[in-house]
Amino acid sequence: MRFIGLRLARGLLTLWFAVTVTFFLVRLLPGDPVTAVADPNMTEALRQKLLADFGLDKPLGAQYLDYLGQLLHGNLGMSFRQSIPVTTVLMERLPWTLILTGAAMVVTIVLGIPLGVLAATRARGWVDRVIQITGVTAQSLFVPSVGIFLMYLLGVWLRWFPIGGAVDLDATGFAATLSMLHHLVLPCLSLVLIQLGGYVLTMRTTLIEALGEDYVSLAKAKGVRPGTVVWKHALRNALLPTTTIAGLQLGTLVGGAVLTETIYAYPGVGRAIYEAVGQLDFPVLQGAFVLLAAAVVAANLITDVAYGILDPRVRTS
Amino acid sequence: MTAAAVELTPRLRTWSAFRRNPLGVGSAIVLLLLALVAVCAPIIAPFPEGYGADTSQPPSAAHWFGTDDIGQDVFAQVVWGTRVSMAVGVSASVLAIVIGLLIGVSAAYFRRLDTPLGVLVDLSLSLPVLPLMILVAALAGPSVRTLAVVIALFSWPEVARVVRSQAMAIVPMPFVSAAKVVGGSSLWIVRKHLLPGVVPVVGVSVVLTTSRAVLAEAGLSFLGLGDPNSWSWGTILHKAQQSGALATAWWTTLFPSLAILLLVVSTTLLSVAYNDARDHRNSS
Repeated sequence: MRFIGLRLARGLLTLWFAVTVTFFLVRLLPGDPVTAVADPNMTEALRQKLLADFGLDKPLGAQYLDYLGQLLHGNLGMSFRQSIPVTTVLMERLPWTLILTGAAMVVTIVLGIPLGVLAATRARGWVDRVIQITGVTAQSLFVPSVGIFLMYLLGVWLRWFPIGGAVDLDATGFAATLSMLHHLVLPCLSLVLIQLGGYVLTMRTTLIEALGEDYVSLAKAKGVRPGTVVWKHALRNALLPTTTIAGLQLGTLVGGAVLTETIYAYPGVGRAIYEAVGQLDFPVLQGAFVLLAAAVVAANLITDVAYGILDPRVRTS
Repeated sequence: MTAAAVELTPRLRTWSAFRRNPLGVGSAIVLLLLALVAVCAPIIAPFPEGYGADTSQPPSAAHWFGTDDIGQDVFAQVVWGTRVSMAVGVSASVLAIVIGLLIGVSAAYFRRLDTPLGVLVDLSLSLPVLPLMILVAALAGPSVRTLAVVIALFSWPEVARVVRSQAMAIVPMPFVSAAKVVGGSSLWIVRKHLLPGVVPVVGVSVVLTTSRAVLAEAGLSFLGLGDPNSWSWGTILHKAQQSGALATAWWTTLFPSLAILLLVVSTTLLSVAYNDARDHRNSS
């Protein structure tokens, strides 16, 4: 399993890079973290004590090693404002973000594949033109604008879906699950609209390529029905390159989740980031980035390994 | 094709192909108009500040885009927002292009730098950029300059990757070896041969990087990291979110959203039209 080992090493390198970049950016920027939180009028002695409390009086190298050691223990520091560990703050929020982004990804794939097939099988027709133009435009939408638009249309005007929160706190059991799904629709749909274009366009290009291959002509010549040729023969091969787009779009997905959660007051990591910005709670911001980077690295690793299992050719390259 | 057409330089041919594409020309006009609004903001509307008498009014003849919860004119906010949004977008993009150009060309020309720079670009591209920008912008303190620098700092890897792959195709060309043989310095070869070769790709990159930078600025300002003393499209949305107007006063969010959409869609269409025009195989 040399392939998995290599991918794992790359993931760990990415994570180390993320952690190191944040550490040095935070230290190199004007004003140390203590100046940022503390009263500017405090005495020099108190300032030194605070610096010592946070371990900020040691040389930079020692601080860096300390920081890495703490991270390995899952310690992301203390929240400035809430006086509880950052890990506690964020771990409470992480499941919601995973539910939201996971649901958005599944829905995007479920909608993206048939739309891509539709465009590819009618390449250069008007359906294809419409799908292509919509796809390109959707990719350039501003996430909060989409969120606000859906909120007006489906939440405020039609009153079909709730416009904030993640679950009705009074509901229990099955009703709670239903309420959760009900609250999920609007934020999830906003993310899907942003993501869909990329998937459909990639699906379209790879499928058009696959439809030009010899095995497709052979299947057609043998008299296999056109639908079967597309769905059973060409699509299977076109799906593989499309899995890479899932990895490429993870960064966009995470960024979109931060903005969407802010609009819908969805209690995920993104909303925690928004709240931390308002309170200048730097440890939470730093921890949230490290956590999201770790999530992206892990998801990328899974996509890579899955691709390797589905298509043995990439394992050797 | 007439004899005169054959003598056209590639640049002129691109220009004449571009002129015949209504989508491209339309987008260019829209972008020029937005730039005009940005430059002439003081003439078009007074700077929105303080409290006004008419609060939360829907659009009317007196207030074309309505007013917000403290009575400020949304039209004036959007006009002044054009200024900051475009200024941040353009300056961040220029900075990102310069860094990306330097790194991309060095990676292609100096073989020993290729691997470390390639790894650096790959690593930066695989991280979620928005949370990182948020952290740095929050630490550096909100200002227009911070936003431009932070966005540029995390936008150059895309440019570097595009530039590198284009420059890689030029480096093995005979004229580059010839330039080396006649004793040209590396700097001279890069300036004379590599840079002109990558300029067409950079042209598209400038446009796309600018629209991405405008979106990034809007995102950061929406989250509350905008300059508190100036207006940008994202700031207008942030204020609407904070005042709770998001679900009631549609005009406070619709017009800045449309402005963002207009700019980003026209930049996208402009780059598509430019790419088509540059591809001479398709034209007649």
